[in-house]
Amino acid sequence: MKIRTILLATVATATMTVAGSAYAETMRIGITQNNVGVDSYQTTYEKAFIAAAEANPDVEVVVLDAGGDVARQIAQMEDMIQQEVDAIIIWPTNGEAVIPAVRKASQAGIPVVVTNSNIAEAGFEFVATFSGPDNITQGSRSAEIMCERFTALGIQDEARVVQISGQPGYTTAIERQKGFDDRLPEVCPNVTLVETQPGDWNREKSQQVMEAFLVKYDDIDGVYAGDDNMGVGALNAANAAGRTDGITFVGATNFAVGYEAMERGEYWGSIYQSPVDDAKAALKSAIDLLNGVELPFLNYFDTPKITQDNMGDFTKPVF
Amino acid sequence: MNIQTLLKQGAIWAFIVAELIFFTIAGDFLSTSDKSFMDFDNMLLLLKQSAPIGIIALGMTIIMINGNIDLSVGATFALAAVVMLDSMTWPFMVALGDWSIPLAWTFALLTGVVLGAINGLLVWKTGVDAFIVTLGSMLGYRGLVFMYNGENPTSKLNWTLVDFAEAQFLSLHTATWFLLAVTLVLWLVTTKTVHGRNAYAIGNNREAAVNAGIKVGPHFLWNFILIGFLAALSAVVFYSESGSVNPNDGMLYELWAITAVVLGGTKLSGGYGSIISTLGGVIAIQLLRKGLGHIGAGTETVNLVIGLILIAVLFLDRQLNRKGKEELKI
Repeated sequence: MKIRTILLATVATATMTVAGSAYAETMRIGITQNNVGVDSYQTTYEKAFIAAAEANPDVEVVVLDAGGDVARQIAQMEDMIQQEVDAIIIWPTNGEAVIPAVRKASQAGIPVVVTNSNIAEAGFEFVATFSGPDNITQGSRSAEIMCERFTALGIQDEARVVQISGQPGYTTAIERQKGFDDRLPEVCPNVTLVETQPGDWNREKSQQVMEAFLVKYDDIDGVYAGDDNMGVGALNAANAAGRTDGITFVGATNFAVGYEAMERGEYWGSIYQSPVDDAKAALKSAIDLLNGVELPFLNYFDTPKITQDNMGDFTKPVF
Repeated sequence: MNIQTLLKQGAIWAFIVAELIFFTIAGDFLSTSDKSFMDFDNMLLLLKQSAPIGIIALGMTIIMINGNIDLSVGATFALAAVVMLDSMTWPFMVALGDWSIPLAWTFALLTGVVLGAINGLLVWKTGVDAFIVTLGSMLGYRGLVFMYNGENPTSKLNWTLVDFAEAQFLSLHTATWFLLAVTLVLWLVTTKTVHGRNAYAIGNNREAAVNAGIKVGPHFLWNFILIGFLAALSAVVFYSESGSVNPNDGMLYELWAITAVVLGGTKLSGGYGSIISTLGGVIAIQLLRKGLGHIGAGTETVNLVIGLILIAVLFLDRQLNRKGKEELKI
């Protein structure tokens, strides 16, 4: 038994060596994802990533999932460094805890692409490029959608807006709010942003926040929410109070619930962020790096505006 | 040592050898890597990556030999990490420079000792089953973690600390040294001391142990203090390297630790178990994770495979021990 095993192993190794030399040009790219099963955005991302890699004959991928566990993600980084992959893509479970692991990869001469949400600034020097959505642009585009709608309704000089922001402390929340706050007075200088409260990315919390807004203010013309999940929570509150008519709801990261509310004509617009584009952009960044293409440090993929007017151009989000 | 104990204690190591052979051969066919799975550096990494759950599982072994269980270790792990990293940002600690590092470790370890002592005192003084007590403290300690910093991660990146944690001495990583040291100490405690012999006696028959004059309450207290300390030590080892803790870190660690202990052959009902076999159980789990990743199997298959193996191990154990005497007659 033992001798046979050794023989088999030897034969296998020999075969691999021969096969290995034939594919010398293949790029080996490893990815460690945050937590694939946890929501359909991440699930769709993984499928799209594998599909994009299979479509490219020059690429072999090692696809790993940290299951939300920092320790496992660090171990996966170490494994990929040890296996000498050509490039590593990481979707951080924790933007700071992975910095030492990213440094290890960079010290081993393996370029690291951070995907979807960036790591903390202390780790920037070890990262080749960040591939993901530009949340400041998303915020300012939401402001533009809002302003264009007010102009079409003829209330651009008197409209009053409330904002429901994401979880305090999250970069995505901070950046979207900044984009919106900065852009709104530029495009619609006479619109008033009355109040901003956090909805913590949570639909129920946002519904409560909106209920409080509706009691506090008799005149609300627009609601901006940091994502559609919260936007729909606000919409539910307005529906319950019978005040949906005359309020323009604008969100970001178009969710299926937001898309459906747009179909019903209750919700005006959002930002279309596709996990498929996200995944393709990450893989493309890694391939470009290996081909010696110069990439900007922040390598954003496009997240277009979606409103009731143009929603026919977009497929309904899967999440 | 008779044949049966040899079989029992050898089983986990035979399983590890089988895993190594399988992943080496399968890896040569399926892996995209040119490197062999049995590569020396890869085996060093294996030991290092086994450390976080391993250090906890070793302590869990004594708890389970007692016939108890501790579900709060994951939360203790997280809270100790929060204390360690947060304490390094306190003004007087910042003033100390890198000398704050040993102090931060001490704070974290003390946290673990205190949390473990709370569990132990509750089990001792209330007489409530350890499962229930630690189920409660698991939720309670996790609540403390969230109260400390909300949903936000607690972070303090200190490169001196990272360099220490990433260092290799005699080619073994820092974390591996801690894992091996804990194994040695606990092996000595369980096999060479009165405390260790009492642990088995209590697990075998608590009544008899009480009648024999063993002070069961204080014995439990010491063991819960020990596992609290080890959960914190695991956090110290791991977070020295990563420098940031999410409030839900360490979730399910209690279950992974228990899985490793059971894989190592320790009885859930108490009275039987071995530190060295638990080390084998921990390594077997990490090998599976690594190996399945190496041959390109989806990470989600890991849990399925470990679950199946766990059931198979318990079934085999039962067959070996009782020859199916307790088969259910439906």
